[in-house]
Amino acid sequence: MRILLIEDDPDLGPAIAKALRAENCAVDLVADGIDAQHLGDTERYDAAVLDLGLPGHDGIAILRAWREGARGLPVLILTARDGWSDKVAGFKAGADDFMTKPFRIEELMMRLRALVRRASGHAAARITCGPLVFDSQTGQFELEGLPLKLTALEWRVLSTLMLSKETVIARLDLLERVYEGDAEVDSNSLEVIIGRLRKKIGADLIETVRGRGYRVTAATPAASE
Amino acid sequence: MTLIPQSILPASIHGRMLLISALATLVALAVAGLAILGVLQGFVTRGLDQRLDAELSLLATAVRPDGAIDKPRLAQVRAALAGEPGWRWRIASPGGVVSSADFPEVEDGPLLPPPPPLVPAADRAPPPPVGGPLEGPRAHAPQPGEGYDADGRRVHMRSVSLPSTAGPVTLTAAAPWAMVQKPVRGALLPLLAILAILGAVLGGAALVQLRLGLRPLRRLRADVAAVRDGRAQTVAEDQPEELRPLATELNALLQDNARTLATARASAANLAHALKTPVAALALELRDDPPRAALIDRLYGTIRHHLARARNAVTERRAAAPLAETIADLLGTVAQLHADRALVFDDTAQANVTVAIERSDLEELLGNLLDNAARHAASRVAIATTAQDGTVRITVSDDGPGIPVADRLRATAPGVRLDERGDGDGFGLAIVRDLAELNGGRLLLDEAPGGGLAATVELPRAGGAS
Repeated sequence: MRILLIEDDPDLGPAIAKALRAENCAVDLVADGIDAQHLGDTERYDAAVLDLGLPGHDGIAILRAWREGARGLPVLILTARDGWSDKVAGFKAGADDFMTKPFRIEELMMRLRALVRRASGHAAARITCGPLVFDSQTGQFELEGLPLKLTALEWRVLSTLMLSKETVIARLDLLERVYEGDAEVDSNSLEVIIGRLRKKIGADLIETVRGRGYRVTAATPAASE
Repeated sequence: MTLIPQSILPASIHGRMLLISALATLVALAVAGLAILGVLQGFVTRGLDQRLDAELSLLATAVRPDGAIDKPRLAQVRAALAGEPGWRWRIASPGGVVSSADFPEVEDGPLLPPPPPLVPAADRAPPPPVGGPLEGPRAHAPQPGEGYDADGRRVHMRSVSLPSTAGPVTLTAAAPWAMVQKPVRGALLPLLAILAILGAVLGGAALVQLRLGLRPLRRLRADVAAVRDGRAQTVAEDQPEELRPLATELNALLQDNARTLATARASAANLAHALKTPVAALALELRDDPPRAALIDRLYGTIRHHLARARNAVTERRAAAPLAETIADLLGTVAQLHADRALVFDDTAQANVTVAIERSDLEELLGNLLDNAARHAASRVAIATTAQDGTVRITVSDDGPGIPVADRLRATAPGVRLDERGDGDGFGLAIVRDLAELNGGRLLLDEAPGGGLAATVELPRAGGAS
């Protein structure tokens, strides 16, 4: 899960980023409205957390520009403005959720996960694929009823695949969802992560579709090959 | 300086001006009436005096220069003078008094002129001929006098003193006062009628003038009422010259007020923003330290409560918000906020109703109620409105667990948090109550038909509802 975090407060921004990373998210933090709009237009994110009171460029204007450019990325507004007029204006501009400061990081995380899940078309919180269960509300994986321990990178890859289970995710899309904007990416690293995941959950669940990408599937390997 | 004591002065300008103009008209008419009567009486009296003076001239022909009375001549004169009843005469000479039968007692001595000074004999002229005896150097102008006859009737007199060798001879002619009174009395009735008509015309004119004159004031009042109701932003400035400065001042005052309000709101918003972000950072920093995190929670609760109050205190009191549109916007927002729960929102808000409250306040009020209902509802939130007699009732009900009767009153007290399940902060209902009361309404809590909470807000309907 890769999050675009737009927050101009020099204390709050890094604190939120740290908390989100602790929940396995890749976070790109920007404090400037113009950078934020550009990143939202060009990069692939699972969701954006948007502060409204940005210097120079208002959050609502950024959101409106994204929506006018048909950018469907789920946006959660996180602001100190707690008036209902602000909420109404935010949703009218195309926001998907709205939280006011101060807030509980757990709630932010929960709401972000719900946004991402809804954006990928799942109504229920638990997503099952064969023996593998992903609770999109808590972010926990279970394999055959037992909790599954994953590193942050493994979690990002597997959660992305699970949210689009039975669908092929292009290699590049997967890479973009997994690494933060300024990370040094080794082109082989994705294969390394997939290899480790296969060791943990069994080789059959993640299928390599040659020339296209990967998918998680409950179908038997025999049928797919 | 008070011309008329405050206690009897009517309270309205209309009444005051009417009273003053009525009094002025009455005084003017009375003065005019008396003056006309006085002039008329003067005319009639002068005519009478001329007749009496003619009699005096006639009587003078019967007085010889030595003061004795020329009897044969007097007999002639007496015959000429015997005419209408009440006309009398007297000749008082040093040798004796001759008079008509019923000459009245002259009550007031000093009314008669003092005896003229003796004139030297050498200056004496022969008796004047009839018609002119009172002219010439020995004559004095006749003097007026008043007296009463034996029956107590008033009598008008003229008397003149003729010098003679034996001493002054006083001639007096008298006529009944009725000679003056009768024509004046006769003129009185038509005069009063004319004055009454004049009074009616003046009174009517004053009324019309007042009506017309005060009409711009009434219109200005209606304008101000419209501003208060939120139907207008300013009062019309195309007023009569005297009211134009007032309208201009009023508009300037309104503008000042709006500016102050906007500044106060902006400062409240800025303060909110400035406080909340660091509190959020602090809360995040301390989230692994529960006792301190609880302190932050309390700190935040206090900030929020007082900021909400501060914002409420600068609320605009003359505004109009469209009810159905506001509710539709809010329902969209609340549905999104609770998107994870498949809630059904049942909106039966009446169209074309405006509420006398600023839109952001109405949003705040109903947003809190709807959010509260959505948080507690099992599956359904309903919002219904009725508008009756200038009051709009908005009821938000849910199918949640509701609030026990004993807690319903407490639920609207500030800071009381009955909600231990949801993530509510406990200020929602208190803010709703504050805002409702601030805008001249109230919040009522009741049980919904299914057992949930039915919160009703009553607010005044905006005057310009179409």
